[in-house]
Amino acid sequence: MMNKRSRLLALVMAALMLMLTGCEGDPVVRKQNTQVQITLSWWGNDSRNEYTIAAVQRFEKLHPDIKVKCSYSEWQGYEARSQVQMISGTEADVMQINVGWLGQYSADGTGYYDIEKLSDTVDLSNFTPEMLDYGRRNGVLNAIPIAMNAETVYINKDVYSDFGLFVPQTWDDIFQAAKVFSKHGIYALAGASKSIWLYCIAYAEQCSGRQFFNDKSEITFTADDLKIMIEFYNRLVREKVIPKVEDFQRFNIDNGTYAGVVAWVSDALNYYKGLIEKGTEVIAADYTAFDPSKSGSGWYAKPATLYALSRNTEHPKEAAMLLDFMLNSREWAELQGVEKGIPVSASGRRYLEEIGKLSGLQYEASQVMEKNTFIKPMDPFTENADLYETFIEYCDLVLFDKSTSDEAAKELYKIYSENYKMAPA
Amino acid sequence: MAAKKPNRSMLRNISNVQLLMIFGFGLIVIAAVLTVSVLAIRKTDEVLKNKVISLTSSLNVQMKLNMESYLSRMETIATLAFGEKEAYTYDATDPNNDEYESINIEKKITERLFSLCIMENFVDYGIVYRNNRVVGKISNGTASLFGDRIFTEISSMISRPRTNDGWSTGYDNNFKRIYYVKKVHDNAVLVISFYASELDAVFDNPETLGDMDIRLVNKDNNIIYSKEPDEVGKSLPDDVADRIRGKDSASVLDNEYLATVNKCGDWYVVCSIPTQIILNEKNEMTTFIVVTAVFAAFLAVLMALLLSYRIIRPIRKTVFTLDNKARIDLLTGILNKRSFEEYAGNCLENSLDSECHALIILDIDNFKSVNDTLGHAYGDKVLEKTGEILRSVFSEDDYLGRIGGDEFGVLVNTRFDSREKFDSYLHDKCRDLASAYHDYYSGRDGSYKISASIGVSVWPDHGRSFEELYSACDSALYHSKKSGRDTFTFCNYDKEREGDNDE
Repeated sequence: MMNKRSRLLALVMAALMLMLTGCEGDPVVRKQNTQVQITLSWWGNDSRNEYTIAAVQRFEKLHPDIKVKCSYSEWQGYEARSQVQMISGTEADVMQINVGWLGQYSADGTGYYDIEKLSDTVDLSNFTPEMLDYGRRNGVLNAIPIAMNAETVYINKDVYSDFGLFVPQTWDDIFQAAKVFSKHGIYALAGASKSIWLYCIAYAEQCSGRQFFNDKSEITFTADDLKIMIEFYNRLVREKVIPKVEDFQRFNIDNGTYAGVVAWVSDALNYYKGLIEKGTEVIAADYTAFDPSKSGSGWYAKPATLYALSRNTEHPKEAAMLLDFMLNSREWAELQGVEKGIPVSASGRRYLEEIGKLSGLQYEASQVMEKNTFIKPMDPFTENADLYETFIEYCDLVLFDKSTSDEAAKELYKIYSENYKMAPA
Repeated sequence: MAAKKPNRSMLRNISNVQLLMIFGFGLIVIAAVLTVSVLAIRKTDEVLKNKVISLTSSLNVQMKLNMESYLSRMETIATLAFGEKEAYTYDATDPNNDEYESINIEKKITERLFSLCIMENFVDYGIVYRNNRVVGKISNGTASLFGDRIFTEISSMISRPRTNDGWSTGYDNNFKRIYYVKKVHDNAVLVISFYASELDAVFDNPETLGDMDIRLVNKDNNIIYSKEPDEVGKSLPDDVADRIRGKDSASVLDNEYLATVNKCGDWYVVCSIPTQIILNEKNEMTTFIVVTAVFAAFLAVLMALLLSYRIIRPIRKTVFTLDNKARIDLLTGILNKRSFEEYAGNCLENSLDSECHALIILDIDNFKSVNDTLGHAYGDKVLEKTGEILRSVFSEDDYLGRIGGDEFGVLVNTRFDSREKFDSYLHDKCRDLASAYHDYYSGRDGSYKISASIGVSVWPDHGRSFEELYSACDSALYHSKKSGRDTFTFCNYDKEREGDNDE
């Protein structure tokens, strides 16, 4: 018979065996981490894509329970893609948008999320009411502007100096410069379709004294005004001030074939980073005018880009957190710098001042815009792609002698009348 | 006291055997546990390594398939451009082109190409002509990168003669975009591109393998894609590159790295992770096995201790009993002759000259007549009483023994710091003995007087060995007998002192 000690020992051994073998059949349960996924879309060049991705990583590090899926591309084609997404309801939760899209997709203010509903997350106190008004449709805060933008005349001062030319200020200066440059295969200026379209509007407005759009987004230009624009474009091309917009090629900026470019403030580094790094002096010139003292007349400023939230977002809180981070945080401002222009956000601008990033060609172009007293806010419809593509189409008809400028202007006016709101005669 | 002294050597032997058993058993158990543990660790190591290699290899193959599928999809979308007739018939370099018509054809091709790639994150989707004219979507980044060598450089990317197309990146060490080019005709090439970071979705790996580095490299080991954007364009780290050099499809696992590679077109998908991280579970398992083994060994040794104790205890008891029986005179309870002589001899052999010892021999007077007169039972009682008297007179340190039928010996072993005191002590003890017998009467009516004769010899004066001392003492006893019995005599070879003189 076992004594007490033996019994105790047997009990301990049994317990140990049970402990060592008892867990064999237990199921292994592993809990997966779940994250809220939101999407962010933007367009831009390489540097914008790189810093945006880096800034998003900073955001994800601060908020490990949020995953941001990025969708980005260069500008070309982005607008059409955005249209497909907006119409099909597959747009990103947080979007970089163009000011023109507000009118296009949210005429009554319901096309995008009402950001004021998220004002406990997005600090709107960094923006003046006037700036927020750029993002309002029908009184609803659909978007928040990032920075202001305007078409700017960039001049490669080294090329102009090589030919003994001063920085052009007037339309005549431009044509005079072209006379010198054209003998050497150099263009005094160049630009993509939209930039040249706005350049022609500036010229025509200075000629006619009328704004292309009135306050009601109605076209005020007559067929005669359009004829001025068409003839101006033809003169620019025929006198080799600019290449045809179809012939505009980016690499001709780098090789000096284009001694100047009409482009957005936000395109300064995109176009000229390489040349500036090589030591070329590039400046943001005054806006071309008949009278230099009225430089800026007929030229327009607009929010460079805006951020909006999808009205269909399933995660408004998280989307608002990202939006606030993009607009108001030091982390984002540090990486973005002045790439999109000088930030409208007071805190963003303050951070850039603190770290000494308010400098360079882009900053100079912003200063030209901000200090100009004649420049006016741009009507969002001015950037409508159909509007300026049709204009170029009719310019080409004249350029290739398929039509007279008079006929082309009348036909163009007719098409505009059929598709856009026209101001009463 | 003499009866209580055990046979230490015997018990020491038993203790040694017990220790040997415990150590032997412990050693065997530890060796067995060690062997099993080493085998278990080795087997675990082997199984785990094979499993990890197999899983990582599968992951790599999956990544390769993802990549091939992605590239194939891009090629398919690019090929859609050939659905537009003008896209492959128009030649912008033809000097006979009407410029106005060309503008309109190019506009049409551009619109078509844009509509084909509208939902993809393409950076470029256009056609480049030999005169560097472009239609469709050609980004500023690409225009800036290739400049006025755009047609030449893009055309040189065609590497597959069968399909007249090819994949390329790293032009002018720029790895930001990945290009796919396809010949349209002799003067035109279709180009599409996307940012390398688009491959994030292709190489997305599960969170459990978050530490795995997944890279796409070209044949020069330049990194085309990595989770770490800073790495793109740089060389594959030597630690990984050295392990997969010259291999198209392989997995390598050593003490530092696990690296797998699979060829994907002209590129390679490389997965790598430090062995320490991927086999972290192995270390945990090894620790578990070692801890379990140590615990098992401890339990086994504990069991051995318990078992040996339980086995040895009755043996010790038996040995102790048998030893006592062999040493002790059963009648008197003191040492028998052999044990007494052995202990006394050993004691004297190991003594220093400064120590005091003495041998006292006691012989019961007329013991034969006690037996004859009172009977053997009373004789035995006398002997028994003598044992009692000796134990009561002498101390625990002294050796007591029955060295003959009625003869008893005492080796006085009590310590003294002077010879005088020792002599005085011996005389006192002899008187105590005599006195004890004077008070002892035997027989049925208790009237039979018992006495004893005593001889005393002192070490080392009367002999250094037990035999010499015994011989001297025997002479003194003889003198007591001759002197009329019931007295004690000190051996007087050097100095004659007789007990009766003291009486």
